Amino acid sequence: MHSILAVDDSASMRQMVSFTLKNAGFNVVEAVDGQDAFEKAGKHDFDLVLTDQNMPRVDGIELTKKLRSSPKFKTTPILILTTESSDQMKQAGRAAGATGWLVKPFDPAKLIEVIRKVVR
Amino acid sequence: MADTTPEGAGSGAGIDLSQFYQVFFEEAGENLEQLEQLLLGIDLMAADDETLNSIFRCAHSVKGGAATFGFADVAELTHQMETLLDKLRRHELAPNASMVDVLLQAGDALRAQLARHQNAGQGEAVEIGALVAQIRAMSSGSAPAAAAPAAAAAPAARASAAASAAPGAAATTAAAAPTGSRSLELVVGPLDAPETANNLIELFSEIADLGTIEALDAGQAADGMRRFKIVTSSSDADLLDLFTFHVAREHVKLLPLGPGYGFHLGAPGAPSAADAGFGFFDNAPGAPNAADAARPGALQAKAEPRTPGKVVAAPAQAEASTLRVSVEKVDQLINLVGELVITQAMLAQTSAKVDPALYQQMAAGLADLDRNTRDLQESVMSIRMIPMSIVFNRFPRMLRDLAGKLGKKVEFVTHGEATELDKGLVEKITDPLTHLVRNSCDHGIELPAERLARGKPESGTLTLAASHQGGSIVIEVRDDGKGLSRPKLLAKARERGLEAPDSMSDAEVWSLIFAPGFSTAEIVTDVSGRGVGMDVVTKNITALGGTVEIDSSEGHGMSVKVRLPLTLAIMDGMSVGVGKECYILPLASVVESFQVKADTIKSIGGSGQVVEVRNEYLPVVELRRAFDVPSFGMSDDGAVMVVVDADGCRAALLVDELLGQHQVVVKNLEANYRRVSGVSGATIMGDGRVALILDVGSIARRARH
Repeated sequence: MHSILAVDDSASMRQMVSFTLKNAGFNVVEAVDGQDAFEKAGKHDFDLVLTDQNMPRVDGIELTKKLRSSPKFKTTPILILTTESSDQMKQAGRAAGATGWLVKPFDPAKLIEVIRKVVR
Repeated sequence: MADTTPEGAGSGAGIDLSQFYQVFFEEAGENLEQLEQLLLGIDLMAADDETLNSIFRCAHSVKGGAATFGFADVAELTHQMETLLDKLRRHELAPNASMVDVLLQAGDALRAQLARHQNAGQGEAVEIGALVAQIRAMSSGSAPAAAAPAAAAAPAARASAAASAAPGAAATTAAAAPTGSRSLELVVGPLDAPETANNLIELFSEIADLGTIEALDAGQAADGMRRFKIVTSSSDADLLDLFTFHVAREHVKLLPLGPGYGFHLGAPGAPSAADAGFGFFDNAPGAPNAADAARPGALQAKAEPRTPGKVVAAPAQAEASTLRVSVEKVDQLINLVGELVITQAMLAQTSAKVDPALYQQMAAGLADLDRNTRDLQESVMSIRMIPMSIVFNRFPRMLRDLAGKLGKKVEFVTHGEATELDKGLVEKITDPLTHLVRNSCDHGIELPAERLARGKPESGTLTLAASHQGGSIVIEVRDDGKGLSRPKLLAKARERGLEAPDSMSDAEVWSLIFAPGFSTAEIVTDVSGRGVGMDVVTKNITALGGTVEIDSSEGHGMSVKVRLPLTLAIMDGMSVGVGKECYILPLASVVESFQVKADTIKSIGGSGQVVEVRNEYLPVVELRRAFDVPSFGMSDDGAVMVVVDADGCRAALLVDELLGQHQVVVKNLEANYRRVSGVSGATIMGDGRVALILDVGSIARRARH
């Protein structure tokens, strides 16, 4: 079973993402912000990191940079959840080493569709 | 590929999002609460980045959830707020007071919208058109490119990004569209009559500049949902405004056209170019090189064998550090623990009769049970304890609006926000406190000119302070306004036919304002002063087992102290025997007890009796007489005197014997029987008997008069 680290400071989004992923047969670990995610990333292995961009403490871009600097996450797909109007953010994500982005709002089916493109 | 993976393909679809609504509503409520606090606390002269970012994040978070869960109106308003807040945090605009006002109003509107959704759309729709227009005007008002409307700026940026994209991206509609316009997917529904959506097509032909629209579903409605592709340069808000002529706002959803996701070419973990032939790579200039450099990484990621050990076998998942539980569940738990405490007391009482030497183990077990029960009880009670800040936080906003309405300047200061109080009490204390705060602002604090004339600072100060004092919590509402006027109160009281001799003490004069229908306000404002209120305040607080004290100095201000028991459910008590009856005294009010000889009790002025305790004469209350307990001819020789103190008011209670100390579970007498003077509640003792809990304060006060 594949493991996904789902990072979002919003409890409702986290629940929705987590439920959707579990429903699709993934193993999910939740984190409430970048800092929490980084700590959890140190303890477990993941096949994919799905992170929100705007979060308190450590945001999605920072998290991506931090993860990429660790050998363990050199090649792990990292997807950033972003809002529609942020081309700038996409570029920042790219620079930080993110694998791709997913525009919010998305529906559960879309989320699974995207994830299956990188985790199989 | 995806279909061959072990993780059931396609099972991500068909998830009922409504299961997450409740969490979203609560979270949005918290975000709005925080937004308001931050807005109220913002220093317009020197707003720091952290605050601006946090404010932005609140709106952003609500927007994200609202859009995901399909609350289009909430998403729209938060989107406008976010646009403005984004400019503020980027320092493209400087925050000002009217922005704060509008954002606060927007917060209120969002609450109303959310409340409506929470009631499944019942109630009147919230009109946000004017608010949206105002926020947009502010966002664009001082934008650097004043010629171009702010709304067009974003699409322009997107179009230019698309233009610089690699050939693969050229197929996307955004690039094909004229500069400044963007392509959107418009989803309408569910509609009872899906053909009404065709009116939208006409709308585009009627309004020249609106752009183009084409049906994506060939006129066929799937589940009452219609889908269109539109190319437009208008903002989402404008579009939504226009569409409301034909379809309800909540039935309209605007989505970015296209896949809504993408991969950075060559990024670690990204699908290979051949695989991801969707034309949605977000290519930076010079992409081919970047791709070459990164491709091996991508391939390596794909080729890497997945060792079984790599996948974590889900450890107990670390959830967030808080858990939402319904209050009913907690209350049920508290009730059960209450019963357990009674059972434990019963066991302790029974075991006192057996020989501890013979039943040593049982005695030890019972001692453990006693300690564990007490710990359990404390832990359970602490679940219900919430900080006073929950109540205090609602006042800054209220005061701001109120002071604005009255033309006054008020500074709000709080102390002891972390003081914890039982949730039930917090809920019940909020209304009385609100009343007191309003009163202070309306009647206490003077207009700025008047204050200056009296040599006071222009801004009045209103202080809310909470603290623990003994077994109770004291909440004080204090202002530095004009205070109460003794002559005015006396005159008013006489006018109303109340007995008000000049010899009344200050405290007695102040408490006149608690009389029903009593108001000294010269003008009845729409804020307060209608003469209902203070009596209701005292009534509510007394019902909670609390007291209200007033202190005032004319010209300097006034203070109202509300004293409440820490919790309503359990207290430490001392049980005393009178005849065959057993009464409970709140332990916190017991000062001392001593054996008393009948001749040390002196009669004064007719029926009153006093006893001398440490050079102080205290009124004696003979509980036997006060509660009419049948006497069995016991002499007073062995009687015990218990000195009690309630808010500085002391009295000596004459009882037959001291029985012991217990924690007692307070049962409301009013709810189960009726109000009895001198009694604040009842409890069930370990042996199953009912004992009355005495209202020491009222007994002591009565004794002194």
